[in-house]
Amino acid sequence: MSNQEHVPEVKEKKKFHRHITKYLYERDTIFASIWVFLFIVILGSIPLNLGVLNPIKLGLKDFDFNDMSYSKLGKASTTPIDSNIVIINIGQADREGIAMLIEKTASYNPKVMGLDVMFSGPRNQETDNFLQYTIDQNENLVLAAKYMVDTTDKLVAAGNYFLHEKNRFGYVNFPNDDKETVRNYFPFKSDDHDKKLILPSFTSSLLKLYDSTSYKKLEKKVNKQLIINYTRNYTQNTKQYWVFNGDDLLMDQVDSSRIKGKIALLAYVNTNPNDIEDKKFSPMNEKYAGKSTPDMNGIVVHANIISMALEKNYVKKVPLWLNLLIAVVICWLHMSFFIHYYLESHIWFHLAAKIAQVASALFFVWLGIYLYDSYRLKVDLKYSLIVIIMAVDVIYFYEAWAVWMHKKFKYDTLFKPHHH
Amino acid sequence: MKKLQFIILFCLFAGIVSAQNNYILYSFKGNVSVVDNKVETKAKVGTPINSSATIKVQNGAAVTLICNEAAMFTFSKAGTYPLSKFGDSCTVKNGSVSANYVKYVWAQMTKSSGAPGSNRKAYMNTVGAVSRSINNIWVDPRLDTVNYSKGEFPLSWKSYSTAKEFDFKLFTHDNISTPIYTTTVTKHKIPINSFASKMKPGNSYYWVVSVKGEENEEIKVLNYVSKEDFNKVEAKLLNQGASFEAKAEQSYRLGFLLEDAHFLSEAYQHYNTAATLDPNNVLYRSTLMSFRKDYELK
Repeated sequence: MSNQEHVPEVKEKKKFHRHITKYLYERDTIFASIWVFLFIVILGSIPLNLGVLNPIKLGLKDFDFNDMSYSKLGKASTTPIDSNIVIINIGQADREGIAMLIEKTASYNPKVMGLDVMFSGPRNQETDNFLQYTIDQNENLVLAAKYMVDTTDKLVAAGNYFLHEKNRFGYVNFPNDDKETVRNYFPFKSDDHDKKLILPSFTSSLLKLYDSTSYKKLEKKVNKQLIINYTRNYTQNTKQYWVFNGDDLLMDQVDSSRIKGKIALLAYVNTNPNDIEDKKFSPMNEKYAGKSTPDMNGIVVHANIISMALEKNYVKKVPLWLNLLIAVVICWLHMSFFIHYYLESHIWFHLAAKIAQVASALFFVWLGIYLYDSYRLKVDLKYSLIVIIMAVDVIYFYEAWAVWMHKKFKYDTLFKPHHH
Repeated sequence: MKKLQFIILFCLFAGIVSAQNNYILYSFKGNVSVVDNKVETKAKVGTPINSSATIKVQNGAAVTLICNEAAMFTFSKAGTYPLSKFGDSCTVKNGSVSANYVKYVWAQMTKSSGAPGSNRKAYMNTVGAVSRSINNIWVDPRLDTVNYSKGEFPLSWKSYSTAKEFDFKLFTHDNISTPIYTTTVTKHKIPINSFASKMKPGNSYYWVVSVKGEENEEIKVLNYVSKEDFNKVEAKLLNQGASFEAKAEQSYRLGFLLEDAHFLSEAYQHYNTAATLDPNNVLYRSTLMSFRKDYELK
């Protein structure tokens, strides 16, 4: 290519470059950007919940763009089965049936067993004794409990009739509301007053017996919420965990090598979308926004936590200050671009601004998804998207403010009175 | 030179061996066996299976296999399946998340909302009432209320258990304790015309289906509409059409409106007519196929 042919292309590039950089270091760009953040702070400080009648805010309360990557973009759809974990479906088994299943599973020599069932109180004396005996006989069995505070404000593990001091246990409840998506969990919880009183989660207790290296990484995360990295699912169409029916196990129709030395989780599992017993909302829900039904069996959520710990693929959360810094830079660049059109090609301002807003929104959503998918880095681009949306409206306010300041205090500005 | 030939041959052989698919038996029900090296063994969940093995599936049985830890497929019909012929089932589509994002955004941006008639499933949202019981039978909410006057049309259901027999009961609208008709069926459906003689036109009936020996509280409605009343409905719908409507177009429109009005048997006849009169019309054909699939009309 000759130099002459190259010239128009270079000119075009320079022209586009100037659209963004021409006003980048102008006082107006910087102050207008500051006003965007001031508006966010002022609006956020209004002590009224203005979102109460806002269906968009209410609808998107539990919304995360990364959820889209599971349901629409095929993330985790080809993750192979985690052979470290097997789930034994207890179905509708009663206490005697559960005891038999524990015994049978134990005969296959798993390294550790977890029973994700809450027993609320006594039933039949004979079967209760049988189940208690079976639980006590299996030292590698972890029982499920719930963390809560008692009447003396002390942290306790409760909710399981068969749980005694000598039994291993872990709590199965999550820090979120039942109607919200389960995104985080506490590996350990400590008492507010007695910091030495620490309760482990169900998965932490299982990991302690299964893999000490993975457990050590978790041990220090007391009262710290970790983001669950969902990599596998168990539905009618997706089977990324081994799930054996209790009946098949009792009839020896299961290859013993699948259970020997593994983590065996006994729980209720079903793939019927109409049966929501012990099901949670997960980011893998096919309907990622708006009203939906719980999609993931509770035990599959726990299995995902265990897989995450064993594979050491924790999700890293970008700190708030960095999210805000990203928002500041994005706001600054956009403001420079918008002011350029506002002052020099005002007729095209709204069209250019709307196109830039849509393109930026699509780009930053992709960036968030890409960073999450490729680097397990969770960036909260919510502030960036808000500043892009607000920047256009703030320019009008800033123009009036700058002109007023110019008249009153000789404030140096590029905006002229009655510019448009 | 010989050494080089040997290395090339070795690499080729290693490549062929490594390209073989690895199967694992994920789950099965019924009588399933694996034949490997002429030795037949009973299926066991979790067993690795050689790609040269053959799977034998008996009547009523089903087996699900996982290939190369990713692709999953099921044999649900009786037969003998040599795994060497199912290598293509091991293929897994694995597009990058970024590429899928671009495709998804573009598809959403260019997606047309479409006319109701071109997407019956999106439009047919006048389904039945909520149900709260949990049992082993699931009846499509679209069958919650069925209006019927003539023709062959089945009431169908799905079962989450491995049951092979189902109890079907028909009640009058004023007495839901004593059924007027009871039968046991082995299929997941029962044609309405098989018990139409037990009903009187112009009356409403309730029906319930359960796994044999079990109870189900989910009661569905069947309105047996008299021929005269149906003709009135059909005539009303017929008059709503444009004057230049072709016969196939008219049949499709009637089918669509009758389905929306829960006259499923009659809608089926019209969808059928539309597809027969204009066999090259993709919409008519696909709607008929989708309708057949939805209501177990095979």
